Amino acid sequence: MTTEVVELNRWVQIWFGPQHPGITGNMSVQAWLEGDTFAGGVTHVGYLHRGFEKLMERRKFIQSFPIVCRICVPEPDTNEYLLAAALEDLSGLDTEVPERGAWMRTLVMEMSRLQMNLMTLGGHVGSMALGTAPNWLIALRDLILDRFEELTGARVYHMFITYGGVRRDLPAGFAERMEENLRTIEKKLPLVDNVIFDSSVFRKRAVGVGVVPEEWVDEMSLSGPIVRAMGLPRDLRKDFPYLKYPELDFEVVTAHGSDIYARAWVRRREISQSIDLIRQILGRMPEGPYCAKLPNMLTWTIPPGQTYVRAEATRGEMGYYVVTDGSDKMRRVHVRGPSYVHGVALLERMLPGTNIADLAPLMVSFQVCPPEIER
Amino acid sequence: MTEILDQIRQRFGAEWQHVQRPDLLQIGVDAKKVVPLLTWLKEHTPFVQLTHLSAVDWIEEGQFQLTYLLTDPTAHVSLMVCARIDRDAAEAESVSALWPQAVTYEQEINEMFGIRFPGSPRQGVPFILEGWDDIPPMRRDFDTVAYMNTRHPPRPGRKHTDPRAYVGQVFGERGFLHDD
Repeated sequence: MTTEVVELNRWVQIWFGPQHPGITGNMSVQAWLEGDTFAGGVTHVGYLHRGFEKLMERRKFIQSFPIVCRICVPEPDTNEYLLAAALEDLSGLDTEVPERGAWMRTLVMEMSRLQMNLMTLGGHVGSMALGTAPNWLIALRDLILDRFEELTGARVYHMFITYGGVRRDLPAGFAERMEENLRTIEKKLPLVDNVIFDSSVFRKRAVGVGVVPEEWVDEMSLSGPIVRAMGLPRDLRKDFPYLKYPELDFEVVTAHGSDIYARAWVRRREISQSIDLIRQILGRMPEGPYCAKLPNMLTWTIPPGQTYVRAEATRGEMGYYVVTDGSDKMRRVHVRGPSYVHGVALLERMLPGTNIADLAPLMVSFQVCPPEIER
Repeated sequence: MTEILDQIRQRFGAEWQHVQRPDLLQIGVDAKKVVPLLTWLKEHTPFVQLTHLSAVDWIEEGQFQLTYLLTDPTAHVSLMVCARIDRDAAEAESVSALWPQAVTYEQEINEMFGIRFPGSPRQGVPFILEGWDDIPPMRRDFDTVAYMNTRHPPRPGRKHTDPRAYVGQVFGERGFLHDD
């Protein structure tokens, strides 16, 4: 369906990305248009491939943290946690993680979810050329990045979660400064709601657009806000409990409609949920050590085995499949990012019949993150 | 949940089985039985989701391992099905008819490991690499350093510091994280 069909002047082939303001990162969609409507298309990745999985096979376990955080730039902490959790599961170190270390990991994961959801919610309307809310939301996200900088020393690539716990303790006065930031965010959210969810432009372009059928969920292993926007309460924090989530009080956020609007609404409510969870975590933070006593990282070997660990990223199920062979390096590590399914198989299945103007909002609603497709 | 392992062993035979965690069961089966097993799991058990498909290169044993991760979304348990295939005749049956997203996994494994899935769409179509003319890069015998030195030789005049030697000079031979 390329040359011959194009010659008939029925379809026009376009490349949406990699240089396009509406594309979600460094990827492209080769698509065929019939009028304003897509007849089909293929996702192309590879612009960001740095061979992370191969690199990790040639490095000691501790040397992989600076690699994994680059697998999803805006939300690196899920990768850090999963790498640590996989190797702790295989080495038996998982039982050694101290209470405070586990609570601090949960804090970092929720901070990460909060800042990512703030950015993605801005992207929802930004992809429709509505610029006000994205500017506000990026500014609010920066408040959380300030706290990340204070806690980890870095705004984007934190490399804070490590084997056995986290790298350092909470700074003095952290909870108070976080509370101040959370109040600022909460104060602005009604304005954001007004500009996004009460906007007739957003409603017209999001309600009933990009509807994913419910029967595709199990057929394609869909996850995250795409599934919750169908009204299905699936959340790995509840379904496959990890860290301290079982001890926290929260309900899975769902919405109805399975369209772009419903996915944006799930993200908006998860922002409030993360704020609540961060308060709960800081209120229950126990005293004690934040990291287990670790073996010598230059000589650490892990017995042969294989495991798969998963966590709820804001995009859906993030998983790490790790195989060890008794040496001081991983035999194999395979990162299963939600975008691997959402950005390729699901997007290509959704393209036929989609209007060209709806492609960017659709991709943002799937929250496609190309580095986790090509690793 | 380990009853599912017993059922698989009785119906399809099993080379080994292991319970990594209560929510992660593992089983090794003959490669010829993978597709019948996965079809049975999808159609007659709650393990309906293909969460993940991956390959591992066991070059010392002359084998590749294919790992299929199936998930039961109601009981919240995953089942890892592993099968070994000959490294020199690296070919396996496709599961793309069971799960549409398997096309992408099989396309990538074909590109990165050189394992063929006859009948699967997009076999031989570049996924990540473009114009690749070396052995598949995720095979263990692909030497990344040699590849880089050949294709992108270092510019003259650059000073290279070996990290191991540097750590040894600065922190002593045992490194900076020794625990005694």
